[in-house]
Amino acid sequence: MRKAVILFKGIIHMICVIYILNSCSPVTPKKVHNVYTVEIKQMKFQPAELVVQKGDTIVWINRDLVTHDVTEIPGKTWTSSPIPTGKSWSLVVSQSADYYCSIHVVMKGKILMQ
Amino acid sequence: MKFHMNCKALITSIIACSFMFSVPVFAQVNKLSDAEIASVAVVANQIDISYAAIAKMKSKNSDILRFAETMASDHKAVIDQAVALVKKLGVTPKDNTVSKKLASDSEKTKKLLRSKSGAAFDKAYIDNEVAYHKAVISTVESLLIPQASNKELKDLLQNVVPTLKTHLEHAIMVQNKISK
Repeated sequence: MRKAVILFKGIIHMICVIYILNSCSPVTPKKVHNVYTVEIKQMKFQPAELVVQKGDTIVWINRDLVTHDVTEIPGKTWTSSPIPTGKSWSLVVSQSADYYCSIHVVMKGKILMQ
Repeated sequence: MKFHMNCKALITSIIACSFMFSVPVFAQVNKLSDAEIASVAVVANQIDISYAAIAKMKSKNSDILRFAETMASDHKAVIDQAVALVKKLGVTPKDNTVSKKLASDSEKTKKLLRSKSGAAFDKAYIDNEVAYHKAVISTVESLLIPQASNKELKDLLQNVVPTLKTHLEHAIMVQNKISK
């Protein structure tokens, strides 16, 4: 019985030590994610190619006279749906991708994730 | 001999194409006022919307239908911008020789398009879109922009040019695809 009490006290003691050590460990700095802007103007994505980190955000702003969209190619795995003049759409980057405007299929862009 | 035959065939094709579509050419016109330029801009956009409407009724080709949908939507957006601008400037679009010629030529083209069906229609429609956009780009760049007096009207016309050039590039892409 006495041995069991000692063992129990030992376990409690270890748990307390681990808890104290954990709470004293240095805080890992939070990773800062950047926000990039791609302007859609003069029927082009500007810039057409963007190098980003995982978790960064890209905002596409339509500054053209006509409606555009931003759609992944070749699989169309994601799309903005139509972005009217003056409106914007954003995406948190999880992988590199090629994209185009499915309304004006000759307009193309590229996201390169480092 | 074969070369001579090919040349003859080529020349015949070029002449045939030049008569097939009524592509506007405005080498010599009197200076247009801003009201007249606004009218030309609106009429030119309306014409391509009317071609798109015919395509949406007659074609079953997905590339043609998608292109026609884009033409209808983009040219409507340009008309909306032009109408908003003339309203702001207090200008009333005024008919003139250029807008009248555009409208009368388009009637001939619409008649031709309506007379065709299937693959022949698709070819005729997209060939006309290539020719029409080339002609309109040339008219906007060499006639309308230089003659526009108001800065906002000139800016609007300049902003429309990249849209027209993208349409031309898109039309050529569809033309190449359906001719294979």
